[in-house]
Amino acid sequence: MIDAIFSLETIYILTGLVLLVFSFITFRDRTNPHRLASAVFWLLLGGIFGLGGVIPNWLTGILVLALVALDGAGRVGRGRDQPDKAKQDRQADRLRNRIFAPVLTIPLVTFAFAIGFRVMGSDASRGALLGLGFGGLAAMVVALKVTQGTVRELMHAGNQLNETMGTVNILPQLLAALGVIFTAAGVGDVIAGFIQQILPGNNLFLLILANCLGMTLFTIVMGNSFAAFPVIATGVLVPLIIRPFGVDPAMAAIITLTAGSSGTLMTPMAANFNIVPAALLNLRDRYGVIKFQLPFAIAIWSFHVILLWVLAK
Amino acid sequence: MPLSDLLKLSGIAIVLIGLAFRLRPTLVVVTAALVTGVASGLPLFSAAGKTGIVDMLGKGFADNRLMTLFIITLPAIGLAERYGLQQQSAVWIRRIHAATAGRLSALYQLFRVVVGALGLRLGGHASFVRPLILPMAIGATEAKGGKAPEQSIERIKAAAAASENYGNFYGQNLAPVQAGILLVYGVMKGLGYTVSLWELVKYTVPVVAVSLVLGFIQFELLDRGIRRGSKESQ
Repeated sequence: MIDAIFSLETIYILTGLVLLVFSFITFRDRTNPHRLASAVFWLLLGGIFGLGGVIPNWLTGILVLALVALDGAGRVGRGRDQPDKAKQDRQADRLRNRIFAPVLTIPLVTFAFAIGFRVMGSDASRGALLGLGFGGLAAMVVALKVTQGTVRELMHAGNQLNETMGTVNILPQLLAALGVIFTAAGVGDVIAGFIQQILPGNNLFLLILANCLGMTLFTIVMGNSFAAFPVIATGVLVPLIIRPFGVDPAMAAIITLTAGSSGTLMTPMAANFNIVPAALLNLRDRYGVIKFQLPFAIAIWSFHVILLWVLAK
Repeated sequence: MPLSDLLKLSGIAIVLIGLAFRLRPTLVVVTAALVTGVASGLPLFSAAGKTGIVDMLGKGFADNRLMTLFIITLPAIGLAERYGLQQQSAVWIRRIHAATAGRLSALYQLFRVVVGALGLRLGGHASFVRPLILPMAIGATEAKGGKAPEQSIERIKAAAAASENYGNFYGQNLAPVQAGILLVYGVMKGLGYTVSLWELVKYTVPVVAVSLVLGFIQFELLDRGIRRGSKESQ
C-alpha cells in the first residue's frame, strides 16, 4: 500500500488529473480561438499520463500521433487572459515574504524525499522525482493557504502558465521515443562505421579531435550525450584510441562523455534543457538559451580536447 | 555506404531540415521517427515477433513521462505569481546591494554543482529557476537601473536557464551514483574494461573547475552588458 502511494505511477496519475482540469478550463475559455481542439490535446495528454502504465503501447502510440496531428494542424491555441499588474503589486504589499512559502515548498519537499530515500537505502533519484510531484501538490496547498485564493483561481493560474508554454511541453518525451526508434533501426552503428572509414589511423591528436567532434555531433543530432556515448565508445574511442595507444580507459571515457555535453548545450534536440526552459521563462527567441550557451560550449569543448590529449600522451 | 544504411539516416536528415526551416518541432520529430522505422523495414504495428514503430513510439513516450512531471508544479507557481511573487522578489533583492543578475546566476551554478556532488538529481528549471532565480535576477537588475530594457531581460532569462544546465551537466559527474558515471561504467565494462567509479569522478574534477570559471566569466560579462544597456536607455 505504502509502496503503491510512493510510486511514480501515483505522481503520473496526479499530473494526469491536473491536465484533465486544464483541459476542462480550456474547453470553457471563450477567448481561446481553438478551445475545442486545445481541450482535446490536454485531455489526451492527461489520459496518457494517468493510463500510460496500463494501456497497451500501440494505443499510447496512436494517442501520441493524435496529439501531434492536432498540434501539426495548428489547432492548439491559448486564451487571452492577461495578468493584472496592479493587483499583483497590491497583493505583494499585503503578503510580503509569505508569498515565497509555496515556491520554496517545491525544492524543500524534493530535497526531503531525495535525502529520505537515500537514508533508507533506496534510489535517491526516484525519491527526487517523487519529491517533485508531491512537492508540487504540497505547494498548491501552501499557496492556497498563504494567498487565501480559491482552488478555481489556482487551477486557472496553472492553466495560464501551461498554455504559455504550449505544445513544446511534450517535445522531450517525443525525442526520447525517437531515440528508441533510432536504436532499434541501428542508426548508431551506421554512424560509427562512417567515422571509422574517414579517420586518420595513427595521429593521436587527430584521433582525439575526431573522437570529441564525433561525440559532440552525434549528441547534437540525438539531443542526448547518454545516447551518443555507447555509439562513440564502441565505434571510435576503444578500438581507435584506448586499445592501440594504451590510454587510461577511465580518463578517456569520462572526458569523452562530458565533451558530448557541449553538444547538449548547442542543440534544440535537447528540448528539455534548452527549448522547454526558454518557453518556461517566456523568452521571445525559442533558441535564446542555446545562443547564450554557444560560446561557453565551444570554450569548454576545446578544453576537453586539450585535456584528453595531454593526459593521453 | 550501402543504400540500406543511407536510408536509416533519412530520419536525421528530416530532423535537420525540419528544424532549420523552423517547422513545428513535434511534427518533425514524429515524421523522422516514422520514416526511420519504415526505411529500416520495421512494421508499423507489432507483428510476427517484431516490435512495431507505433508501439515503440507509445512505449518511449510513456516511459519518459518523468520529463514532463513539472506540469504538477505549475498551479502553485502560477498562483504565487498572481499574488506578487516577482514583485516581492524585487523588494527582497533590493536589500542585497551586491546582488546582480550575473552573480546570482554564478551562485546558482555553484549550488547546482554541490547538489550534483551530493548525488541528487533535481529538475531545476521548473523548481528553482522559474520560481526563484529569474525573479531575483530581474529584481536585482531593476533595483539598480530602474526598468530594464527588453534586450537585457532576454539575456538574463537565457543566463538563468544556462546556469542550471552548466551546473547540472558537469556537477552531476562528481557523485559515483549518478546516471552519467554509471552509464560510462556499464558501457566500458561491456567493452572489456572494468574502470573504478572513483577514477571516473577524479577526472571530472578539472572539467567541473573549468566549467565554473567559464560560467563566472560569462556571467560577469552579462553584468557589464546590462550596465551598458541601462545607461544607453536612460
